[in-house]
Amino acid sequence: MYNTKVRGVLIQGNKTYADVSRDIIRPMDEKAPMWWRVSIFLATGALFWGVWGFYNTISVGIGEWGLNNNVAWGWAIINFVWWIGIGHAGTAFSIFLLILRQKWRTSINRAAEAMTIFAVMSAGLFPLIHMGRIWDGFFIFPYWNTRGPLWDNFNSPLFWDVVAISTYFMASFVFWYMGMIPDFATIRERTTSKIKNKIYGILSFGWIGNARGWLRFETAAILLGGMAAPLVVSVHSIVSMDFSVSVVPGWHTTIFPPYFVIGAIFSGFGMVLTLMIVLRKLYRFKDYVTDGHLDAITRILTFISLIMGTAYLTELFMAWYSGSEYEMFTFMKNRVTGEYKYAFWTMITCNAIIPQLFWSKKIRKNITMVFIISLFINLGMWFERYVIVVTSLSKDFLPATWATYSPTITEIAIFVGTIGLFLLGVLAFFRFVPTIAISEVKGVLKETTTLKSFTDE
Amino acid sequence: MSNTNIIGIYEDETILLDAMDELQKNDVKIKDVFSPIPIHGVFEKLGITTRLPLATFIYGVVGTISVFAFLYWTSVVSYPLKFGGKPLNTLSFIIIMFVLTIFVGTLFTFLTYFIREKMYPGKEVELPVPTTTHDQFAILIEKTPGMKDAEVKKIQDLLTKTGAIEVKDSDVEYDN
Repeated sequence: MYNTKVRGVLIQGNKTYADVSRDIIRPMDEKAPMWWRVSIFLATGALFWGVWGFYNTISVGIGEWGLNNNVAWGWAIINFVWWIGIGHAGTAFSIFLLILRQKWRTSINRAAEAMTIFAVMSAGLFPLIHMGRIWDGFFIFPYWNTRGPLWDNFNSPLFWDVVAISTYFMASFVFWYMGMIPDFATIRERTTSKIKNKIYGILSFGWIGNARGWLRFETAAILLGGMAAPLVVSVHSIVSMDFSVSVVPGWHTTIFPPYFVIGAIFSGFGMVLTLMIVLRKLYRFKDYVTDGHLDAITRILTFISLIMGTAYLTELFMAWYSGSEYEMFTFMKNRVTGEYKYAFWTMITCNAIIPQLFWSKKIRKNITMVFIISLFINLGMWFERYVIVVTSLSKDFLPATWATYSPTITEIAIFVGTIGLFLLGVLAFFRFVPTIAISEVKGVLKETTTLKSFTDE
Repeated sequence: MSNTNIIGIYEDETILLDAMDELQKNDVKIKDVFSPIPIHGVFEKLGITTRLPLATFIYGVVGTISVFAFLYWTSVVSYPLKFGGKPLNTLSFIIIMFVLTIFVGTLFTFLTYFIREKMYPGKEVELPVPTTTHDQFAILIEKTPGMKDAEVKKIQDLLTKTGAIEVKDSDVEYDN
C-alpha cells in the first residue's frame, strides 16, 4: 500500500513516545534563549515603527502614501497579496497533505498553520487601513442601515474578498487550535509548574484522550480539513479577481485565478522552508524535521517553480497572441523592458530560475543553500505582486495619465510593522506552544521509526 | 452505582489491541480506552461511531440555503438595484454561498464537537492514568456492584496476562 516505507524513516533517533513529548516540550521549559530575546526586541521595534505608520496614515490620510490618481494601489495591496500568499502555507501543508494522507506532514503542519494565522493577520491590516476612514470599516458588513436600506454590492470581488479572508482566518484558526488541544493536555499533565498547569489546563478545554474523544477529534479534524481545502483555492482565486475583473492591461486575463493560487502555495511553501530550517536549527529538532522533510519540500518547490515559469510565459504569449496593443505594451515595454524591467527580471530570476537549482541533489542536501534559495523565493514573490500592481497601473490606455510610483516612508513603516507583527506571533508560538504536533508525531512514529521493538513485529 | 474501574496500563498499542481482543473473547466488557494517540482498531473493537459528519452536512445545507435566501432577499426583494445590466438574481451569488457554506459548516462543526465532548475552557479534569497523555495506554473495565471477587480477579489476571505493566483500581470520574 501507499503507506509502506517508501520515504524511509520519518522520525530519526529511535524515539519512544516519551521521548517525543519530552523533546518537543523541552524548549518551552528552558529559560528563554538569547536569540529569542533579541528577536523579540527587534520585532517589537519593527511593530512600533509600523504603529507609527498606521497612526500617520489614519491621522493625516492616504495622502501620506505615494499613491496618485493612476497608481491607486501601491505597497498596501502588494503586501496584502504577499502576506495572503504566505498564509496559504498552513492550509496547503496541513490540509492538502492530511487529505492526501501524507504522513510526513506531521512534523511541519503545526508551524505552517501558526504561520498562516499570523500572515493572514498581517494581510488583513492592509485593506483595513487602505480604506482611509478606518472607523467606517463596518460599512462592508451587510446590515440593516439607514441608507435606504442600501446593501453591499454582492457582485464585487472586494466584498468576496472580505468574506473569503475572514472565513479563511476563522477556519485556519479553528483547525490549528483543535490540533493543539491534546498537546496542551500533555503539557498540563506533565508540567511541575502550578501556573503552567493552570494555563494549559484552561487551553486544553478538559481533554482526557479517551476512545470516544479521539474518535470525535479525528472525525472533526478531517471534516474541518476537508472544508478548508477548497478555501485554499477560493481565497486566492477571489484575490486574483480583484484584479482580473477590471479592464486594466496586464490584469484582465483568465489565467489569474490558477496563477495566483499556485503562486500563493509557492510562497507559502517558501516561507515554511525558511522557518523550518531556522526552527530545527535553534531547537535541535533535526530528528523530527529531517533532511528528508526538507528534501520533500524542495522537490515540491521545484515543480511549482516550473508552473510559475509557465504562467509567466503564458502571460507574455497571450499578450502577443491576443493582438491587443495595450497588453503588448504593458508586457513588452513596461515589464520585460522599460522602467520596471528590474522588478520583472528579479521576479523571473527568483521564482522561475533560481529554484531550478533544486534539481541538483547536492544543492538540496546543502541546507545553507536551501535556506538562501527559500529567501529568494520570498523576495521573488514580493516582486511578482509589485510587477502586477504597479506596472499595470502606472501606464494604462491614456499616456496623458501615466504616472510613476514610489513608496513613502509611511508605507515602508507599515510593511516593516507587519513583518514585526508576524515575527512576534511566530516567536510567541516558538516559546509557548509545542511547535511540532506531539500526538500526530506519535501517531506516525510506529510506522516509520527504526526503533527495534517497533520493527520486530 | 459505584464508579470504580479496573484499569490495565499498557505501553504499546499493538499489545493493547491484542489485549482488547483477549478480554472481549472472555466476555469482559471494556468500558473505555485512554491513549496518547488515536487508534482506529480501538474504535472498531469498542463499536463506537460518531454522527459528526451528518451534523456537518446539515450545517452546510442550512448554510447554503440561508445565505442564498439572504442574498436573494437583499438584492431582489429589499432593494433591487441593477449593477452593469446583470440580472438581480445573479450567478455571482455562488461565490459568497460557497465561502459562507464553509464558514457555517466549520464554525458549527467546531462548536458541536465541544458541546458533544462537554469540553470548555478551564474545565477541570482528573485522569484515571495521567500518563495516557504521554506514553501509556489504559483499558478501563467497570467494576459493577454485583461483581464477585472471583470475577474481578479473573479480569485482573487477564489484564496482567495480556501484557499490562500495571493493574489497579480507580475511582476517578470523567465525562464519557
